[in-house]
Amino acid sequence: MAEETLTRAAPTAPAAARDTPRRGFGEGALLVNAIFCYLFLYVPILILIVFSFSNSSLAGVWGGFTFDWYVKLFQNTRLMTAMGNSLYVATASMIVATVIGTLVALGMERFRFRGRQAFDVQLYMPVVIPDIVMAVMLLLFFSNAFQLLNALLGSSFRLSLTTVIMAHITFNIAFVAVVVRSSLKGFDWRLEEAAQDLGANEFNTFRHVTFPLILPGIIGGALMAFTLSLDDYVISYFTNGPGASTLPIEVFSRIVAASAPTINAVSTVIFLASLLLVSVSQLLQRRR
Amino acid sequence: MIRLLLLVVLTTVTLAACGTTNTGGTGAGSGTTADGVDRARLSAELYFFNWSDYIEPSILEDFEAEYGVRVIMDLYDANEAMIAKIRAGNSGYDVVVPSDYAVQSMVAEGLLAPLDTTLLTNSGNNDPALMGLFFDEQNAYSMPYFWSTTGIAYNTTVFPTPPTSWSALFDPAQLAAISGKFTMLDDARETPGAALIYQGQSVNTTDPAALAAARELLIAQKPFVAAYDSANTNLKLATEEIVIAHYWSGGAGQAIVGLEDKPGNPNIDFTIPQEGGVIWMDTLAIVHDSPNQYTANVFINYLMRPEVAAKNADYVLYLTPNQAARALLSAETQAVLEVIEPSAEERERLQWIERTGESDTAFSQLWTEVLAE
Amino acid sequence: MIFFLLPFLIIIVYAFSSRSPTGGVEFTFTLNNFITLFSDPVYLSIFWRSIWMGVVTTVLCALIGYPLALFIVLQPVRWRSILIFLILIPFWTNFLVRIYAWMTILGNNGIVNSTIGFFGFEPVTMLGTQGAVLLGLVYGELPFMVLPIYASIDRFDFRLLEAANDLGASRWQRFVRVMLPLTAPGIAAGSVLVFIPTAGNYIVPALLGGGKVALIGNFLEQQFGSAQNQPLGSAAALLVMLVLTAGVVFYFRVTDEGER
Repeated sequence: MAEETLTRAAPTAPAAARDTPRRGFGEGALLVNAIFCYLFLYVPILILIVFSFSNSSLAGVWGGFTFDWYVKLFQNTRLMTAMGNSLYVATASMIVATVIGTLVALGMERFRFRGRQAFDVQLYMPVVIPDIVMAVMLLLFFSNAFQLLNALLGSSFRLSLTTVIMAHITFNIAFVAVVVRSSLKGFDWRLEEAAQDLGANEFNTFRHVTFPLILPGIIGGALMAFTLSLDDYVISYFTNGPGASTLPIEVFSRIVAASAPTINAVSTVIFLASLLLVSVSQLLQRRR
Repeated sequence: MIRLLLLVVLTTVTLAACGTTNTGGTGAGSGTTADGVDRARLSAELYFFNWSDYIEPSILEDFEAEYGVRVIMDLYDANEAMIAKIRAGNSGYDVVVPSDYAVQSMVAEGLLAPLDTTLLTNSGNNDPALMGLFFDEQNAYSMPYFWSTTGIAYNTTVFPTPPTSWSALFDPAQLAAISGKFTMLDDARETPGAALIYQGQSVNTTDPAALAAARELLIAQKPFVAAYDSANTNLKLATEEIVIAHYWSGGAGQAIVGLEDKPGNPNIDFTIPQEGGVIWMDTLAIVHDSPNQYTANVFINYLMRPEVAAKNADYVLYLTPNQAARALLSAETQAVLEVIEPSAEERERLQWIERTGESDTAFSQLWTEVLAE
Repeated sequence: MIFFLLPFLIIIVYAFSSRSPTGGVEFTFTLNNFITLFSDPVYLSIFWRSIWMGVVTTVLCALIGYPLALFIVLQPVRWRSILIFLILIPFWTNFLVRIYAWMTILGNNGIVNSTIGFFGFEPVTMLGTQGAVLLGLVYGELPFMVLPIYASIDRFDFRLLEAANDLGASRWQRFVRVMLPLTAPGIAAGSVLVFIPTAGNYIVPALLGGGKVALIGNFLEQQFGSAQNQPLGSAAALLVMLVLTAGVVFYFRVTDEGER
């Protein structure tokens, strides 16, 4: 679904613009820069993939082809569980943060309410707090809140995967809001008025006018949230409960000590899976 | 794509359900058995917070097979990261592995529960010289787990004659040849400590003049250092990315033999320089708010069985305090011990790092100044 | 909102407390943390180095990110989403793992040095330098610059360029006077998203910089971690956040004004 909307991004520029030849940017230079960028991003990945099949456990030394590390990986329940936990946390926090973050951005752009600036500053707080500080503070917050709740209600809340998700939502809302807001800059609010003049109610206006126009921003924000969440180590480490490790936590504690080739294998699997997911959805869409 | 992900979510939700602790017996018959353990008092699960690669993995399975207690292990990479979670409360962990000084500060803050010595029937296996140390004089809160020294690890192909002095890492005349090919530990006490030992000071001095001199020495050394690194030194030594390092004896052992997937390198050797070195220890301890203290004591006692301690030491390659386990170690481990275990004469030259509020502040300031240079 | 505010309040309280001898926190009001931070030039030098590295990283990201975003927008519609995803996919692989891959590329016996050694050149020490840290930072933050810029170029009406052309504007003028101002919000959002994490990054300096290039993130990590001085760390974090927030608000104010 995500790709579908990205490709539909074209109508954001008025239809006629699509026919305007977009030339004169120095296409050659742009192409060279793009090739350089993609190489830059993919060289480390290629290294990982190549050495996940190397029979030598030395990174950088080719020791013949082997599938051993993949066999070890799938036998490693700790890594497999952690991978599942990571996908769960990233997906859940992405969905919640995207909804709230978009609403926040819309509210802030549309309404010039009193105290908006204070709110503005507060919104950027999680963006501005360095990870490690946020992590320690959230740990203190959760443990104190749970002690209080448990004493009052006799409940037994404690750190778990759920607290990790809550922590991720907290920092992701701000990132989504920043991205959606930037796509709202220059949004012509008269379009909404026009739609309402033509008899659309508020919901229909949003669904058919506002939403499609800001969709690229929302999707950008959602993708960013997913990426940030999937890769977070510090905040997850401090807010997770016993037995609820995410992949970065597992990787962090293992890569420094042992099993580097198994980690290469798990990275290759994740890379190929995301590539597959994206290609399949692209193909499905093209058929339509 | 979102729909696909949702599918993934649904399949993983089950994994995320919180574990519950303290669900009582495990179905094994109640009453005390021959080994003095009351099975009815054991919990179903035990949460173990440990350093990475610091236990032979099958030991946890063996323990479960024998007592029916599932041990769930999480990993940390610094005492302080562990203490931060325990201090916040409600951590859920039962057994932790604090180092010497960390035991002292955790006891002072009330973060550890006293051990039940009646359950620790194997504690007599430990080397008496490693019991009753300054951080826990009665061993009321901690049992020795592994110990190690800090000295110099080096590659014998580059150093055919072993370095005998810290000057190998601090003398500018000798540094030029190994520039970018040696590492120092990334530690606010160990690294200034090495400089202090080289200059003939105690590692625990807080004398401003001595600390200033150590700082100048470290700053002069910095341009030659490849990295301040504690985590990857074993691999870097084994792959000859570096040729000499300020390092722990146990890590040097891992560089010789290799660990799990990692390669080993037989050319690595380890020495305590003539000026001296550092000794330290990691211990087993129980968290103050652990609901499974009985099980935790049984687990600690299990790890002190000679055959279990030997199996563990064969894997971890740090020095085991368990004297009864010595004879049971594999030939390969015995060979590594020849290299990394300090002789009686070397042991004389080792110093414990002790911490006070004053020294913490002074060394942290010194270390920041070195790193910011 | 509670989640936003409470951590922040805790930081403020901590910043005015002191460290207990065992590394805990004693809640007695004191200004000592701030006095320490301002009285020793070492903290200021860490701060300036971080700001400098952050600025260079942001500028480099913008310089290669803007043309990349433009390149993507100019492609046929069906290619665009693929190209965007191709930027993001590497980032679904753990950052630490990818930085380790860079270490095998740049190390003393790494791939680059083996290659140039093959042609008879002397090996070069690359790890542990500022250049390696910059490379890692740009590598880690590039997509966070490309995405917002892409979103704003995508909304840009290219007919405006034709109009400018008809009015006699040169190629350079069309870009600087028309396109750049209208896509500036994207650059602004991207810069914020790039600059801020850079200030808190400690993995890249630790691994690619060999722990020798200390940035604010490393200092905070040390104070909240091994040094166990959360009050001093909180005070430093508070100052950094004040500076960054001021910068962010100023940035958005300026881009807001530019639009009206």
